[in-house]
Amino acid sequence: MKVLIVDDEHLARNRLRRLVDGIGGYYVCGEAATGRSAIEQVDRLQPDVLLMDIRMPDMDGLEAARHLGTLDCPPAVIFTTAYADHALSAFETQAVDYLLKPIRQARLAAALAQSRRLTRAQVEAFDVGKQPLIRTHICVRERGNLQLVPVAEVRFFRAEHKYVTVHAAEGREVLIEESLKSLEEEFGDRFVRIHRSILVGQAFIAGLEKSPDARWQVRLSGIDETLEISRRHLAEVRHRIKRSTR
Amino acid sequence: MADIIQDPAHSGHGDRLFLPSFCAVRMVFAVVLVAQILSFILVLAPLQTGGERWRDLGVVSLFVQWVALSSAAVLCLVRPLLSRFSNVAAALISYLLLLLVTAVLSELAHYILYRDPTLAPPTGDHFSFLARNMGLSALISVVVLRYFYMQHQWAEQVRAESQARIQALQARIRPHFLFNSLNTIASLTATNPVQAEDAVEDLADLFRITMRDSGGRISLAREIEIAKRYLHIESLRLGDRLQIEWNLDAIPDVAVPALILQPLLENAVYHGVEPMPMGGRIRVCIAQRGKRLQMQVENPVPANRSSSHHRGNRVAHENIHERLRLAFGRAARLEIDDRGTTYCVSVHLPVEQSP
Repeated sequence: MKVLIVDDEHLARNRLRRLVDGIGGYYVCGEAATGRSAIEQVDRLQPDVLLMDIRMPDMDGLEAARHLGTLDCPPAVIFTTAYADHALSAFETQAVDYLLKPIRQARLAAALAQSRRLTRAQVEAFDVGKQPLIRTHICVRERGNLQLVPVAEVRFFRAEHKYVTVHAAEGREVLIEESLKSLEEEFGDRFVRIHRSILVGQAFIAGLEKSPDARWQVRLSGIDETLEISRRHLAEVRHRIKRSTR
Repeated sequence: MADIIQDPAHSGHGDRLFLPSFCAVRMVFAVVLVAQILSFILVLAPLQTGGERWRDLGVVSLFVQWVALSSAAVLCLVRPLLSRFSNVAAALISYLLLLLVTAVLSELAHYILYRDPTLAPPTGDHFSFLARNMGLSALISVVVLRYFYMQHQWAEQVRAESQARIQALQARIRPHFLFNSLNTIASLTATNPVQAEDAVEDLADLFRITMRDSGGRISLAREIEIAKRYLHIESLRLGDRLQIEWNLDAIPDVAVPALILQPLLENAVYHGVEPMPMGGRIRVCIAQRGKRLQMQVENPVPANRSSSHHRGNRVAHENIHERLRLAFGRAARLEIDDRGTTYCVSVHLPVEQSP
């Protein structure tokens, strides 16, 4: 069985690798240092099990597991953590296992043996049992692969028919099947609604200007297109800009 | 009377005597004030009306002040002796001393008043004058001593409570750090036993200081050494991701509360360096400016920091702030400067000579 080790600490990965090597029937197919890199590795290496740290830079283990849960055939996930805090208590009763560092080899062997029985349904159960979490990345499935777009790079979301277009760095555009409303709820402190169908990344707002026909528009840094502000959102947009520049 | 209340954080440690020092100027002032209030009460209390009250007030005030100040002087002088006894014995001795002072001064007053015809003789004969004064003194002394005893108990209790609070606050090295360090050591024992040994020694030093008597002061040089040991463990774990820049020309020879710098660094590592994929640089500046010591720790802020991170940071700072307040009162300050991309915490302390 193929095991992928995900931890931002080099020495922690070393130790896990040594422990896994000592258990028959498993081999380490790769290592990743962030949740984001883990998702890329899963795509490339198709591991059966992930041994994943929770606290990691860029994307933490909980979010990575949540994105992986959307795959058709998700790998099993065993979390490793130094200290069981409240984040873990939420799914203590779920199928997903977690191990406390420093991990005992016997405990690891037991967890790996159990992980064979994990099914997609169980991963989904874990997904449901978790507290609401603000993602750092938007996950897009393209031809069965997971593509990640950092939320911090998203210029704006535009709702079109049943899809939402994500406008990211360097003119990259991807389609997601989420509602603008749920995106606004999740990323409300970063994005501001300027129109019924548009959420704009506040960090990219370069200024407000008035068009020749007396409508207010938002100019975004690095984008030629200006976006129209509907009248009912104008006051809120102004308020948010004023608050952020103070 | 508020003057007498001492700040529990600053009262002498191990001073078990319930009596305050009567040698201090503020205390003498309080004695004069209370004696005067007592004089007013004594003059106003008699029920029969008479035009003599204002003249009586002068004589009574003179006498009461005389007794009060002499008593204060006697207690000031015998206080070093009293502190050798238990509180009960000390209370008994001071009570007898107060009575003695009253008796001697009453005799003296009686002698002067009867000799000088310009001052009206007090009502009653010699014996009733003495008995009245002794009776008043006996009652008032009980009340006063009782007051000081209560005051002392209260101050002791406050001191014990703040001690307990310091203890509770100090013992907070993040469990994350402990278990991660143990994991690092577990990993190193197989690959690099020498480094593992170093890490165990560093960890031992760090926990020894954490579990030590709380509220103690250590030299700044030692505090910096502890901080460096902590950072050494973290750098094993985080590798190149953790960079430290120390800005200190010469370490001033001063004392600081133990574990003030280390938690600031722990915070900077936890909230500033760990969440960054490429790591970051922590800047430490320590400088003495006149009678104040400034310690500053600056860390980068991750681009996508979450609100929970923010909250954790604040909790740690409140902890340090509280400890500074308990140790220095208002003389110490903790400042936070959130500049968006960097986060800077400064601690300003009054300088104390190294023990």
